[in-house]
Amino acid sequence: MSQPRKSVFITLALVLMLAAVLSACSKSNTASPDTSASSGNSGSKENIKLRMTVWGSPEEVAPYKKAIQNFEAKHPSVKVELQHIAADYDTKLTTMVAGNDVPDIAMMESGTIAFPMAEQGKFYNLQEFLDTDADISPDTLVPNITYSLEPGNVIGIGPGPESFALFYNEDIFKDAGIEPPPSNVADAWTWDEFVEVAKKLTVDTNGKTAADPDFDPKKIKQYGANISTWWGVYSNFIYSNGGDFISADGKTFGLNQPEAVEALQKISDLMNVHHVSPSPVQSKNIPATNVALQTKKVAMTVDGQWASAGLAQSKFNFNVGVMPVMKEPVTTVVCGMFSIFKSTKHPQETWELLKALLDPEASIDMLTAGTWMPSPKDWYTDPALLAKWTENLEARPSGYKEAIVDVILTKGHQTPTGYVKNFNNIMDLVNPALDKVWLGQQTAQEAMDSIAAKVQAQIKGRRDIKE
Amino acid sequence: MRPSKLSLTAGYGALILISCMFIIPFVWLIRSSLMNLSQIFTMPPEWIPKPFQWGNFHKALTVLPFDVFFKNTLIIVVTVLVGTVITSSIGAFGFSRIPWKGRDAVFAVLMTSMMLPAAVTMIPSFLGWQMMGFYDTLYPLIVPAYFGGGIFNIFLLRQFYLTIPRDFDEAAYVDGANYWQIYTRIIFPLSRSAIIVVALFSFLASWNDFMGPLIYLKSDKWFTLALGLQMFQGTYTAQWDLLMAASATVVLPCVIVFLAGQRYFLEGITLTGLKG
Amino acid sequence: MRKGMFYGLLFTAPAILGFAIFTLGPMIASLVLSLTDYNVFKEQTAFVGVDNYIRLFSGEDELFYKSLGITFYFVVLRVPAVILLSFGIALLLNLNVKGRAIFRTIIYLPSIVPAVASAMIWMWLLNPDLGLINSLLSRLHLPTSNWLYGEGSVIPSVVLTTLWGIGSTVIIFLAGLSGIPRQYYEAIEVDGGGWFRKLSHVTVPMVTPTIFFNTIMTIIGSFQVFNEAYILTQGGPNNRSLFYVFYLWRTGFRDAEMGYASALAWILFVIILFFTFIVFRTSKSWVYYEGGDRA
Repeated sequence: MSQPRKSVFITLALVLMLAAVLSACSKSNTASPDTSASSGNSGSKENIKLRMTVWGSPEEVAPYKKAIQNFEAKHPSVKVELQHIAADYDTKLTTMVAGNDVPDIAMMESGTIAFPMAEQGKFYNLQEFLDTDADISPDTLVPNITYSLEPGNVIGIGPGPESFALFYNEDIFKDAGIEPPPSNVADAWTWDEFVEVAKKLTVDTNGKTAADPDFDPKKIKQYGANISTWWGVYSNFIYSNGGDFISADGKTFGLNQPEAVEALQKISDLMNVHHVSPSPVQSKNIPATNVALQTKKVAMTVDGQWASAGLAQSKFNFNVGVMPVMKEPVTTVVCGMFSIFKSTKHPQETWELLKALLDPEASIDMLTAGTWMPSPKDWYTDPALLAKWTENLEARPSGYKEAIVDVILTKGHQTPTGYVKNFNNIMDLVNPALDKVWLGQQTAQEAMDSIAAKVQAQIKGRRDIKE
Repeated sequence: MRPSKLSLTAGYGALILISCMFIIPFVWLIRSSLMNLSQIFTMPPEWIPKPFQWGNFHKALTVLPFDVFFKNTLIIVVTVLVGTVITSSIGAFGFSRIPWKGRDAVFAVLMTSMMLPAAVTMIPSFLGWQMMGFYDTLYPLIVPAYFGGGIFNIFLLRQFYLTIPRDFDEAAYVDGANYWQIYTRIIFPLSRSAIIVVALFSFLASWNDFMGPLIYLKSDKWFTLALGLQMFQGTYTAQWDLLMAASATVVLPCVIVFLAGQRYFLEGITLTGLKG
Repeated sequence: MRKGMFYGLLFTAPAILGFAIFTLGPMIASLVLSLTDYNVFKEQTAFVGVDNYIRLFSGEDELFYKSLGITFYFVVLRVPAVILLSFGIALLLNLNVKGRAIFRTIIYLPSIVPAVASAMIWMWLLNPDLGLINSLLSRLHLPTSNWLYGEGSVIPSVVLTTLWGIGSTVIIFLAGLSGIPRQYYEAIEVDGGGWFRKLSHVTVPMVTPTIFFNTIMTIIGSFQVFNEAYILTQGGPNNRSLFYVFYLWRTGFRDAEMGYASALAWILFVIILFFTFIVFRTSKSWVYYEGGDRA
């Protein structure tokens, strides 16, 4: 019994010593916060090291790695260190900011901490670069993919923009003998036409459609449409109807105004009056778009164009058309952004890196797979470049060019997260109220009016107008 | 315990019923790991993969450097386990079998470390480790285990130590034993099952810890399995097939460790048997 | 005992030092931050006194009271459910049946399946239309529920999903049960006592230290429920599952108001401390230690 005794006491002694050392360290270092900033102090021009943080799956990160390779080949004196933060990106980045250990360039998301950080002056104003750079300017990019804190202060530029469209299963339409959704925006369905078609394609377990008086809405086998209750999706229709989340002068809440209310009510009616689209409760049964369409749970669905990738893998006859139009054809454009931290010691090199990251050649795999769309405008307008990512590909069906490529260039609308100040806190009030609308317990007007006063207190203005 | 035939049968039935419910998540994980993306999400769910996508495992484990993740995880898990078992068991001894002034007050203070939500102590903790120069090392994940191994474990062992009759110590004191000998010869062996439970929890906690590695590590050469699993989540969709296959692979060692470990708290301890 | 103080401190030194070095600092830091307008992204932080606390208690922040109420409801439902169910399962697993190694492992499995994977299962099991539970209920002509998607049923449903994760609690009970000397049962058998007498006179009194431990830990854990809201419900529907720590996290990390979030955290700290203290105080009358020591 003497052996364990000795060894454990030695361990104890070691532990105590370590404790003493650690507490001594912590005391001596408290005064100098700069000891941590080891990242950027390779100051000599010879060897520049840039740090970059991104999220994403391995296949999403691959294009960044390729872009970095291309960039390093062109700039031999610069090394880029890519930090892949798999999940809880915001939490990680927040602790990094707290610890003064920020990267030079980071992928950011307009709906979360990008603007809170920008408001505290963490990012470079990219307008300065856009004004002077020969290769890139707002006019050479797809509209609505730059994010501004206020007019003239660009905090981020998006790679891989995304727009919305109406995806559908061609066979369902063929079997029902119904014309599929038009792909040309000029021929787009009105909302009522859309509802009529959706009714004919909503089938209960007895084979009756929603257009039939004997239809049983409790036993729906196939939904004619699926319009999710995510703001990304319903914002399309608010904009299409001339509404907005916030008034044009940025002073008042917009969702209780007639245009927005009408759009929200029409979507609610789709679920609760016409029974052609799953309610939030029912939609928990609806799998991802590709499976929902493939298994004929749903005939047509409004989704982001990223759905193309999954649809292509599912191997069935899918196609894409333009969304129904309430008043004006519009698509919301969503995308992440790359932002440059103000603390970078090498703004010019980081800007060059940002440009390299936008290069569609590096992300060609993601473009052809269907997940992304390119950021430079000439990849939409130059037929040779356009062909590279839209022709002879499973992910790009026949309606794609008209329904998505043409629409994003001319009918795009910026995502509300990009211009509505305090968007998250506003939505913290709006979402619970909308839950009641989607379930048909309140009209859109009642629900939005009931929170209008509280939301008004959270209205802080718009980012796209001068105060 | 020698239960009657009837109650044994009833117990059996109840166990089978409960097991059927409790095994669902695991079966779900395994079947999803062998399916393609669209079959995973089919509703109502299918239980037999068709066809079996054995390739998921190969793809999932090669697309990311899981060998590196595994090595790091193993280093953390083993060192943490050793530290936790040693320091929490001696700490619990000090809080239960040695009478000293202020003991229960000190214990109460330590208990408070579990009562503040981690969300608000995370940044201060991170800054502390960073100031000590241990950012992007494994130390923040390992060293605390050598300092008590968490009050949860101390509290757990304390509860078990308190159930051991006093006479045992008294007899040993009369024989001239000191506290250390009482700990190593009486208390530690008699609490074997509780100590194995602590070891098991320690293993599983550090094996599955995600937040710690996320905050304290930045280079992928230090990344752990729990971090690696998260990498299959994309911006718009997750690679569920690969995520499930990788998860199944990561969970398997836990199942094995558990199957092996539970044997030790299966058998009840007869106090008389150990006295002699 | 001789030199009790010296040895007591020696044995507990690692734990005390660990607390002093790794835990105390961050705790004090957050207490101080709760008196400031600390925002991680802001360069300057101002001392605001008890303003954060005033803002909380004045009723200006409706979600504070709302999330507190929801969390209390959750704790009241969950703590007895976890303790009773896990004790019952532990008793079953302690029976001398064939294959109990397998049964024990199965009960523990849900605790090690990654949360993202098991979240998918709740979505299906508790699915109002196609879910397994509702289809069983309707087959038995029992009323069905909207489960996670109903305002009234979301909290009980979340409690239900957490019951799959009681593996650790069961294991601790099992360890407690295994420490009961067999002679005690034999003594009752000699007296002609049956199953119930064994349970009430031996098993329950002998595992009270374990029941005590599990109760305290379940209370502490339930007050800090977070993952279920984060992964399963996002606080919905209509904020009915806006758990306190989820709200706190949203404030501190998404909205970057870490000073305010720290104030939220310290209020919860006091609440948990209070309930833990109560249980500790009452334990003297119901927890039985063979060692004869006080809790």
